[in-house]
Amino acid sequence: MLEALRAEGITVRFGGVTAVDHVSLTLKDGEILGLIGPNGAGKTTLFNALTGFVPAGEGRITLYGQDVTRDPPYQRTRAGMGRTFQTERPFEELTVLENVLVPAFLKTKGRHEARALALEMLDQVGLADRAEQPALDLNLARRRRLELAKALAVRPRILFLDEIMAGLNPPALREMIGFVAGLRTQGLAIVMVEHIMQAIIELSDHVIVLASGKMIAEGTPQAVTSDDRVIEAYLGTD
Amino acid sequence: MIRHFTVLGIAVLAGLAYPHLFPNALTIAISVLLFAGWATSWDILGGWAGQLSLGHAGFVGLGAYFVAIGQSDYGLAPWWAMMLAMIAAAALAFAWGRITFGLRGPYFTLSTIAVAEILRMIAINEGWLTGGATGVFIATLPEPFGIDLFSRVVHFHMALAFSVLTVAIVIIISQSRFGYQLRAVREDESSAMAAGINPVVVKLKAFMLSAALVALGGGIYGIFLSFLEPHILFYLFLSIQIALTAIIGGRGTIWGPSIGALLLIGSGEIFRAAFAQANLLIYGLLILVVILFLPRGIFGEIQRRAVRRRYARSTQG
Repeated sequence: MLEALRAEGITVRFGGVTAVDHVSLTLKDGEILGLIGPNGAGKTTLFNALTGFVPAGEGRITLYGQDVTRDPPYQRTRAGMGRTFQTERPFEELTVLENVLVPAFLKTKGRHEARALALEMLDQVGLADRAEQPALDLNLARRRRLELAKALAVRPRILFLDEIMAGLNPPALREMIGFVAGLRTQGLAIVMVEHIMQAIIELSDHVIVLASGKMIAEGTPQAVTSDDRVIEAYLGTD
Repeated sequence: MIRHFTVLGIAVLAGLAYPHLFPNALTIAISVLLFAGWATSWDILGGWAGQLSLGHAGFVGLGAYFVAIGQSDYGLAPWWAMMLAMIAAAALAFAWGRITFGLRGPYFTLSTIAVAEILRMIAINEGWLTGGATGVFIATLPEPFGIDLFSRVVHFHMALAFSVLTVAIVIIISQSRFGYQLRAVREDESSAMAAGINPVVVKLKAFMLSAALVALGGGIYGIFLSFLEPHILFYLFLSIQIALTAIIGGRGTIWGPSIGALLLIGSGEIFRAAFAQANLLIYGLLILVVILFLPRGIFGEIQRRAVRRRYARSTQG
């Protein structure tokens, strides 16, 4: 299997605080990597360093063998990364369809092709009937799905999902888990930051646990959740 | 898109009929058309890309001065001078954007005021080039195909062609990839980057196109005035007027800036004739009403309601 992503010794410092401390990881095509850890562990910072939204002070990131360490986010998108945002960021003044048109223009020629791709993505996430609605009017669960459609419309090879399960009610959560599982079968590599353990356990092939910016454990979901250091990081010791 | 071009076609026909119907009201119509074109061009940057400029009078002045100096000092025909002015305006916008688009929030706006002021200072102080504070006078103009460029009717047609050109460009942009990039950058730069868009490049393109078009209108304005004073042409008030025209009409919409020009400049002239000093008061009240009740501008609110209504109707079926 192709190596989709390799990160070596990623370190991010904010002033005197080391938010991410020498973290390394690899991800293969069609694999799902779960990123967990208590609040403030540096998950989102690592996530942003991988996608280019926060510069990594040290380390090296390669995407299908191509070094993207110094590339700004839009170049990483062009190289094959797609991402969602933890707080959904729809283009509020645009309709749902126009929101997906923006990324759809990246890998298509002309507006008819872009429109067809955008509609296809909306259909995939179940928002096709809301195409003409102003994005501002969508509820949380639908905004999440819009985020997904936008991330998928750049035709990524690796998808970065930032807490897309958070705040969903049980039926919506089930649906989302099923959807992400479906993406894997299409051959996408996925990195997901998630607090919902049900999703992590059902979906991840491999899990990395961060605490205070350091990787404290990694392995299969079952191995990691029974690891003493992980339980300690989440619950503390007496 | 076809619908918008149809409306534009009707506007052109109305415009062509205007000099025959109101031959004594050409000056006000020229002002309205020039402002419609300037505000529409301003809006490519200010509305579609969301980068508020208060320095576009600088590009008006650039266009007007290129035409006047080109004619009086170098015997350069106005159409060549306008082309040079457009290139110069785009180059200036590129240089300025490179420096300032890294800045966020009000800093870009502040810097645009500075650019226009610098140009004004050059126009006032570099008398050898610009005629200094007294200004430049266009005494002669060529007569292409026997057309008298000093005629008001000709000025009207040039202003009409200018405003129609800007609106046509915006209609095409609104449906294009570039148009969606502009709106994405305006709404959320991070999300735009996640869509593979380089925000700085998009803003630079918008600034250059906007500046070049405003300079073209400035050249026509120069011919229309025939006597150029730096105090008027590069003045901050003109920049504010251009921006307000677009904002009140509706930022980031195809027709908003033109509607704003019709309302603000058209009614402004009528008020000035009817109420003398009180016209500024009415101007101010109009602005207040729009800001309080129509925050997206007149056409912006109309358009938004239409989108909502269309969606509501589609779900009821």
